[in-house]
Amino acid sequence: MNHLSAETFDANARTALADTQLRGALRNLASTIGERRKVALTTVDDWEGLRERARAIKDETLAHLDKYLEAFADNAERAGAQIHWAHDAGEACAIVLRLLRERNATHVVKSKSMATEEIHLNTALEAEGLTPVETDLGEWIIQLAKETPSHIVVPAIHKSKRQIAELFAEKLGIEPTDDVAVLTGAARRILRQRFAEAQVGISGVNFGVAETGTILILENEGNVRLTTSLPKTHIAVMGIEKVIPRFTDLDVFLKLLPRSGTGQSLTAYQSLITGTKRRPEDEGPEEVHIILMDNGRTRMLGHPVTRQSLACIRCGACLNACPVYQQIGGHAYGSVYPGPIGAVITPQLIGLAKTAQLPYASSLCGACREVCPVKIDIPQLLLHLRAEVVEGTANGTAQKLPVKRKIVERLAFRLYAFAWSSPRLYEWGTRIARVLQRPAVSDGRIGKVSTLVAKVMPPLGAWTAWRDARPIAPLSFRELWREQDPRDNRNVATGMMED
Amino acid sequence: MAERQQDNAARRVMLASIREQLAASAHFDAVRDEHHLQARVIEETAHIAAVAEPTTGSLVERFQQALEAVSGHFIAASNENDAAQAIQRIIGQMNAQRIAISDSPLVRRIFKQVESDALVLENAGPEALFDCDVGITGAQWALAETGTLVLESEHERHRLSSLVPMIHIAIVESGRIRQKLGEVLQTLAQEGQEGLSRTVTFITGPSRTSDIELTLAIGVHGPGELYVIVLSGGNVG
Repeated sequence: MNHLSAETFDANARTALADTQLRGALRNLASTIGERRKVALTTVDDWEGLRERARAIKDETLAHLDKYLEAFADNAERAGAQIHWAHDAGEACAIVLRLLRERNATHVVKSKSMATEEIHLNTALEAEGLTPVETDLGEWIIQLAKETPSHIVVPAIHKSKRQIAELFAEKLGIEPTDDVAVLTGAARRILRQRFAEAQVGISGVNFGVAETGTILILENEGNVRLTTSLPKTHIAVMGIEKVIPRFTDLDVFLKLLPRSGTGQSLTAYQSLITGTKRRPEDEGPEEVHIILMDNGRTRMLGHPVTRQSLACIRCGACLNACPVYQQIGGHAYGSVYPGPIGAVITPQLIGLAKTAQLPYASSLCGACREVCPVKIDIPQLLLHLRAEVVEGTANGTAQKLPVKRKIVERLAFRLYAFAWSSPRLYEWGTRIARVLQRPAVSDGRIGKVSTLVAKVMPPLGAWTAWRDARPIAPLSFRELWREQDPRDNRNVATGMMED
Repeated sequence: MAERQQDNAARRVMLASIREQLAASAHFDAVRDEHHLQARVIEETAHIAAVAEPTTGSLVERFQQALEAVSGHFIAASNENDAAQAIQRIIGQMNAQRIAISDSPLVRRIFKQVESDALVLENAGPEALFDCDVGITGAQWALAETGTLVLESEHERHRLSSLVPMIHIAIVESGRIRQKLGEVLQTLAQEGQEGLSRTVTFITGPSRTSDIELTLAIGVHGPGELYVIVLSGGNVG
């Protein structure tokens, strides 16, 4: 279930659907975090107002991103941080590598960061003989198993504790156990040594405050605090959309993010780091480097619909709420960012050429939009991207549907539009369809249709392959209406409504 | 130097790209703004942040409730001697061998009254801290709504002593408790960048993880036990 490609999403999803262990884990995720989130929402007075405000702050920032980004960089530098600008993943990785080389770093610890996942930092560093040790428990499990995260908040959600116990037994020589506390204790013991010997700590960033040059990182375990306090050098990789204008804006986001992500009122720790320490004898690293990374983000600024993707605060609520993610998990998406937000961000980051199936990985039910703490209209974005897939206009990475399918689709929709434009044609069409459907109807429903029918009408074939279709009713409402005695018509109408 | 120039060039390129994209979006934005006025939303929702609301119970009681809800231990102390005795009880129960204390004057004053055979380290470095069982710090603020402690590096060396040992004991004066996060953020922001501590740490309960089957485990990288001693009659900040 790993290192899958987004190009084979359909096949990935089918494989995932057959994985009962995975689907059990996903049910647990949806119900547990979903419930916790609901309870956490009741502890704020005006959740809707908070969402509105958060989105307004993000919109304001993004509309003037140049200004806020410059202010952030200048203020962080004034406090002693060193700012680096990375146009793409390659540049970001090269900067990290250069910083490590210059410091002769041999031991590097890392806290969880989606930005570093996005640029495949570990792979890039491993190629140069440096392996950063992941210190978030979930990420460490994933690293030991040589897998990729399947969720942006709980990366190892797809693994059972039995699998993790077996992994720890194999890789670390720890007696297999069912006790999560024992597994966690082993992680603490072993990772402490890694922290003690590390010369450099690498982290992500949740929010960068323009006004003060402060970076804020949220966590529950304490590994972020160790990563950013113990080693002599701290490198933070930050997507440029993480900037917010004012220090007090943190209030809004610190209310929204933990509640949406894990259903907590506040995560156990927030580290607010402004530059480097003031005096040499103070605690903390001697150097703080912040890498501001574009990697396809500025492109999203060019249209208000795509720009809203940059409001995302990576809480994962849309994954937990998505009926598609709940069935197939994160790996099937074949990309770093899974779920609804992944289906809209990934094609924009790496182009639609290899990700054209992702905007279709949704039933457009809107659950993601409902839970999104910054009110991103993900269904709108999905439709926007689908239009780009069909028109082949996506950033020069034209995705072409087979010509034949295009023509057939166009013809079918023309015919459909034509038939529906006249009541008489519509009525006759329905009558003909009623006759044609007869062989397929049994027990008042249409079961799996024959291969021949499926070939002529692919949508009907696809639908009935997994579920029954409703046949056209023996009489339409209009026909019933006409047949009734005019005096009874009121009763018919109410009867229909009660149906 | 070459790298400095490289960074400056990269900065110019990125900012230019941002401006170009925003300019390209101007037309679409104009259409959208006819329907959505962002500035208005920001003004209208300003009341959401940082306003203390009337709630039931005292600040201390609400802090206790919230702290206990995240598995923290609450201890009320009416004077410094009480606080010292509470610390003595905890380190006795835990049979603590090595104790790290921060450079907070309050913590030092209180700890002088603690009788213990344990080895006490002041200003311990990372290596020494790894062997400590207990870390004792103060806290500059506490939040009643979430049971959170706020520690500022300018006031206290807190980063490692509140993190590395398995037990963290924090002493906070009751006058430093605020209802809401927004109140403390506003106070911190008022100091401006010059006054702002280089590291501010928010602590809500002991270290925790749910990374294995969403099962809660306490004390994964940081402390597994958090005791907060609220000292009443302290200075009202």
